[in-house]
Amino acid sequence: MKTRKHLALGLAAVLAVGACQSSAPASSGPASAPASAVTSPSAAPSTAESASPTAAASASAAPLAADPAEAVIPNVEQGATVKFWTFYLSPTFDDYIKATIARFEQTYPGVKVDWEDHQATFQDDLKGAFAAGSAPDVINLSVGEGWVSDYATKDLLLPLDDKVPAAVKDIYYPGLWKEQLVGGKNYQFPWYQGISVELINKRLYEQGAGLSAADFPKTVDGLPQVCQTIKDKTGTVCDIRLTVSDLLSQMVYEGNVKVMSDDGKSFTFDSADGVAWLKMYADMVKAGTVDNTILTTNDDRVGLLLFSAGQAAFYQTGPNLIREVKSNNSQLYGDLAVVPAPVGKSGVVGKGLMGISVKADTKYPNAAIALAQYFTNPRSMVEFAQQVAVYPSSAKAYEDPFFASTPSAIEDSARPIAKDIVSKYADIVPTIPKKADVNDIVLHAVEDALFNNVDPQKALTEAVAKANALIK
Amino acid sequence: MPRRFSATPYLFLAPALLVIGVFILYPVASVVFYSLTDYDIVRPPVFIGLENYQRLFADATFWKALTNSIVYLVATPIIIVLSIALAIAVNRRLRGVQLFRALYYVPAVSGSIAIGISWRWLFDRNGVINGVLLWLGAIRQPIQWLAEPSLVLPIAILLTIWAGIGYYAVIFLAGLQNIPEELYDAARIDGCNELRKHWHVSLPGLRPQIVFVFIISSLAALKVFDEIYVLTNRTGGILDSGTTMVFYLWKQAFVLSHAGYASAIAIVLLVLTLGFSIVNVRLLERGTDTA
Amino acid sequence: MDGVGAMELPLPVETARPRRRRWRGRVASTLWYVLFTLIALVTVFPFAWILLTSFKGPGDILFAVPPPVIPHDWTLANYGKVLAALPVPRFFLNSILVSVTLTALNVLVTSLAAYPLAKMHFRGRDAIFYLLLATLIVPVQLTYVPSFVLAVNVFGYYDSLPALVFPNLASAFNIFLMRQAFRGVPNDLIDAARVDGAQELRIWWQVLMPIVRPSLAAVAIFTFVTSWNDFLWPSLMLHTRDEMTLPVGLAALQGYFSSDFRSIAAGVTLTVVPILVFFVAVQRYFVRGLAGAVKG
Repeated sequence: MKTRKHLALGLAAVLAVGACQSSAPASSGPASAPASAVTSPSAAPSTAESASPTAAASASAAPLAADPAEAVIPNVEQGATVKFWTFYLSPTFDDYIKATIARFEQTYPGVKVDWEDHQATFQDDLKGAFAAGSAPDVINLSVGEGWVSDYATKDLLLPLDDKVPAAVKDIYYPGLWKEQLVGGKNYQFPWYQGISVELINKRLYEQGAGLSAADFPKTVDGLPQVCQTIKDKTGTVCDIRLTVSDLLSQMVYEGNVKVMSDDGKSFTFDSADGVAWLKMYADMVKAGTVDNTILTTNDDRVGLLLFSAGQAAFYQTGPNLIREVKSNNSQLYGDLAVVPAPVGKSGVVGKGLMGISVKADTKYPNAAIALAQYFTNPRSMVEFAQQVAVYPSSAKAYEDPFFASTPSAIEDSARPIAKDIVSKYADIVPTIPKKADVNDIVLHAVEDALFNNVDPQKALTEAVAKANALIK
Repeated sequence: MPRRFSATPYLFLAPALLVIGVFILYPVASVVFYSLTDYDIVRPPVFIGLENYQRLFADATFWKALTNSIVYLVATPIIIVLSIALAIAVNRRLRGVQLFRALYYVPAVSGSIAIGISWRWLFDRNGVINGVLLWLGAIRQPIQWLAEPSLVLPIAILLTIWAGIGYYAVIFLAGLQNIPEELYDAARIDGCNELRKHWHVSLPGLRPQIVFVFIISSLAALKVFDEIYVLTNRTGGILDSGTTMVFYLWKQAFVLSHAGYASAIAIVLLVLTLGFSIVNVRLLERGTDTA
Repeated sequence: MDGVGAMELPLPVETARPRRRRWRGRVASTLWYVLFTLIALVTVFPFAWILLTSFKGPGDILFAVPPPVIPHDWTLANYGKVLAALPVPRFFLNSILVSVTLTALNVLVTSLAAYPLAKMHFRGRDAIFYLLLATLIVPVQLTYVPSFVLAVNVFGYYDSLPALVFPNLASAFNIFLMRQAFRGVPNDLIDAARVDGAQELRIWWQVLMPIVRPSLAAVAIFTFVTSWNDFLWPSLMLHTRDEMTLPVGLAALQGYFSSDFRSIAAGVTLTVVPILVFFVAVQRYFVRGLAGAVKG
């Protein structure tokens, strides 16, 4: 779930204002919202009509009412029952998911949805289900963690480009539709997006370490210094997590590392950029300024736990998880500041968070596509965003007045600028063959450098050799 | 003596043989086959000869797992010594001793997942152990126990020992209660003190239990999984520090989807267990001879 | 009562200087109690900690130096949260269902198999026995990939409780223990029954089984505990909430509440306490059963 560490620098001020909870964020930066309606690809007749349900949704008088205009996928199989798995949404969003499913079943009569939510064991469960031939038809996969490409490279997902009408495709931001291509094909409907923010425990960060939340590092390379200060002054360590399931992608965004040769035949992540990226973390481990367990955990919530316990000065996450902090530690919630997450050397804002995919051998491809599309359509997305600080994947959704309204709670402070950020998300990571295995090799190299005193250059060079041998 | 053929014994054996044939013998045979293939459970296996084994020998994680599994065997003698001591201690008539015996049994019946969760908290950076040590002034900085590669395996072994002692002590307690009282009386008359009395009477009397516990607990140590799974939060620990053979087998088969490669690991595990069992039997035979 | 309770082993009581002996006995028993309490602290501490944490409200700090022990902001809300989110009673029911069925069937199947191995002469007896012994050394995890394939392609019980029962219906270990037990039964008894014209099945059920009851109890206990605590195989097989057994459910619960210590603590308490109560209640039978497992 870890969202990317990138955010447009110019937005810092806006967020910082929201963080202080003092006044409403200035709407100057992202004020282009209404204008974008003109530029949005609304040529499709079916989607153009769906402008009205969006408005209806925000009125939210009858959230259950189905709108025939939402039925955009033709030839849905009658009598189909599609299995749908989500990741970490139950029980918090049970009402929303169930209501949306009910509306879907009205919109596409004759299709039934069988929904399950899985949490920490999602990946294990899903792999087991694929092995057992009982995988769900529609699957919520994390783009941020690289899951879509994991499963797509194993031919387990359905390529969507040919199956989805062009008009429907066009409602999504092109950057999101193409954010995790495998062999040039897209395997996911962009779903809810996150905006990476840095949650700051002011008691530790400001009172304890004497730093100022407003001056939080704007770039990733500012973190080691801050962590050193925090350690010296408060004795706590930094709560930073590597994306252990997709390290190469983190290297690309954070370190601007060229991970593969242009022909895609060999790896190049042992370049000076790669070494510098790894060395920064190795130095922090050596200095003892980060929590080693969290640095290499594959479970985002472990880091959140440390932060919620009031034991970490800051934690990078999506604003959607602030509610977890609120329910676990109400005192900390009062001490919270939210600032933009630092940007990496690539300078790229980041990539999307969640997608919905369809399994390759589903019995009901059209019904499955319909469901995946339905959850990601503007109306469903606006309703979701009204529940929690997540952000839609299509321009149309942002036309809803909700996004122009002034947020009051700290977890909503990114709302007015969300459109501007999300619309710029882009994938800058090349397709990596045998990605899970290559990642395992990189992970071992990274751990060697971090905890085994292996020189970062040596560790990465050896990993490149192994990875190259693997894809030969 | 010559006897008529009778189907009876085979009928008695049939259900058990069927189950063992289907769920042990057939799987072993197919694991041998899978170990020669590239297989991910989803797609049909592709024969690749000995490639998996060649990769295995070059795989540092495999060697780490093998070493860890062998190191894990140190748990066995420690468990035996401590659980015998505990059995002797609670084998006395004191009011409420039943309650204590039950308390010692708590870890064994709670299940490895529950105790794994509780231990992960104890050894968390912000856990109780660090809290107490900081409070006592024994350390100045919290120790990152489970992120310290040299500590993960020892903590897991400690957990296994802690959870096992109460369980095995019950077996030894049962053994102690079978030892005739007269033997202790004789020892006392010979002028043995408490300690010598147990050395000369209890230990020989417990021989069958010791053999039994030795076999059970060492086989269990060779296939440790749950403790590692929970303590390392499904990762096997930084630098594979807690990865055991079975954990690696699971990770390759069900996380990385390399069931063929995992099968090669399984075969090595089988050879290891076989070798260990042969050594076991030899040791036990020799032990019986000298006794 | 105290005097009796304070005695150590039932040694012949010397009558000389009874008072001093009595006093020494008291000191000794006090020391034992101190020692027992210390050991109990070690074995119970993590659970006591979890129990206390499960009652802590949002106003309680979980981490501090020194670690806070007693909840100030007492609440049962964590239990409510766990029970609302996950079907814990269902986990129990499933665990009981699996463990009881498995134990009953396993005891039957293995003691059926043990009888001819112990008491009959027939072709291939030794071969079968050694084959069974050999399977003892096969680590069960080794079979998981093929068993997974069987569960999916052949038996179709993936993601249902029978997946936990069928593969474990027989084990060489239990056959071995039961064979030992049957061998201890005098042949005369069996011969007498045969002379009376009893069928072998009847002899097994009416003559042998009652005699080996302690061993049966031991085998049953081992099987039950193993099945109750089994995690890896069930976690591979069960993914639907309502089908989960306790250990699998507990692992799911840990993921579910991963940033909520208090609810995890409540969940662990909910799963551990009933089984503890059960074991304390049957402790006496348990010890006796285990005594039957290994005899000198």
